[in-house]
Amino acid sequence: MAKQTRLGELEREVMDHLWSSREPQTVRQVHEALAARRDLAYTTIMTVLQRLAKKNLVVQHRDDRAHRYAPTHGRDELVAGLMVDALDQASDSGSRESALVHFGERVGADEAAALRRALADLEAKERSRSPAGNPGIA
Amino acid sequence: MSALAFSVVALLLVGPVPALLARASWPLRAPRAAVVLWQSVALAAVLSAFSAGIAIASRLFVPGPDGRPTATVTSEIRALGWPLWVLYVVVFALTLLIGARLVVSVVQVAIATRKRRAHHRMLVDLLGRPHNPSLTRSSGLRILDVAEPLAYCLPGVRSRVVVSEGTLTALNDTEMAAILSHEHAHLRARHDLVLEMFTAVHAAFPRFVRSANALDAVRLLIELLADDAAVRTAGPTPLARALVACASCRAPSGALAAGGPHTVTRVRRLGGKPNSVPLAVTAYGTAAAVLVVPTVALAVPWLTELQRLITA
Repeated sequence: MAKQTRLGELEREVMDHLWSSREPQTVRQVHEALAARRDLAYTTIMTVLQRLAKKNLVVQHRDDRAHRYAPTHGRDELVAGLMVDALDQASDSGSRESALVHFGERVGADEAAALRRALADLEAKERSRSPAGNPGIA
Repeated sequence: MSALAFSVVALLLVGPVPALLARASWPLRAPRAAVVLWQSVALAAVLSAFSAGIAIASRLFVPGPDGRPTATVTSEIRALGWPLWVLYVVVFALTLLIGARLVVSVVQVAIATRKRRAHHRMLVDLLGRPHNPSLTRSSGLRILDVAEPLAYCLPGVRSRVVVSEGTLTALNDTEMAAILSHEHAHLRARHDLVLEMFTAVHAAFPRFVRSANALDAVRLLIELLADDAAVRTAGPTPLARALVACASCRAPSGALAAGGPHTVTRVRRLGGKPNSVPLAVTAYGTAAAVLVVPTVALAVPWLTELQRLITA
């Protein structure tokens, strides 16, 4: 489990580096960037990049002798995709699998007005209860 | 006789009973018991539908007055006549088909859900920043760099609670605590498994038989259960504010919730009457009765009938 977390953490760092670089990076370039801050083996970076390639998050370019890696999708693109997936499942009335459980759903204008009214009622009720001091005893 | 009784029970449990239960308002005041009742109605419906199919199919043996079979595989067509024989065989085949579909559907939904969830979690881990330790000690919280207020959880063994930066800026600490305890209630009680079963049953039956009643009602009820947990930690008003903030933001096109205005119901409930113990006790009692009464009244005599037919 600890190893899993550490690999996940490294994957994040490697992806962050690839996203912030303008050009596809060699394993050596990634290693140099990340090993500046702490002790990391070259082979570890290679493993991480291969894992990311298997997950279809990075793509390998082969030019001359070096393998260069570039992100398959931009960061914003992935975040947008995540949102679409999340909202898609929220709007799903159950014909398909729902992999996640939403806190609230998106509502239309009529429901939004009804929501605000319901909240105002609740807040009014709370206000009438609390400043009265000890309303339980008449 | 038992075939007819089973069919009537199955039809009642598939049609009018869920329709009535979906329209009732008391489940809002006893959500846990109502979930149990829905589960027992669904289980009883599936069981009696099967029993009806098998009871009809067992007439292929042409039981005599003493319950012993009077026909063999070769002579049963002559004994029953073609039309009746074909009818019994079709009913038997349909029963087997529905059973197979149910099993396939459970497996398919389980696999598809886990696959989709694992992919989503992988991306959330990559893109979301881990939580700020000062906010909460809860593990598995990820914050996504999105301006819209948004909160959801990914159930499972490696569960995650995902909130957006927009949620963090829009809500104060108590309101955040309400959201987090709501999501943790979902994860702790594995509400997703309840939902998964109803999704599988829903997917297994053809469109003209099933109704969205059960799935939709259970969806609302598990939200109410999690809401109750959030009220215990943060109180009703912060939860209501958090719900309104997450629901009433700009909706992306095509992303309106199709399940109906559940959020409005939930916020109104927070200002309404509290949960009722007598209602819950009644619902638990009904849930037990729905399972036990048909079993004792129908299944036991029928099983002895069936045993005589097979062992003879």
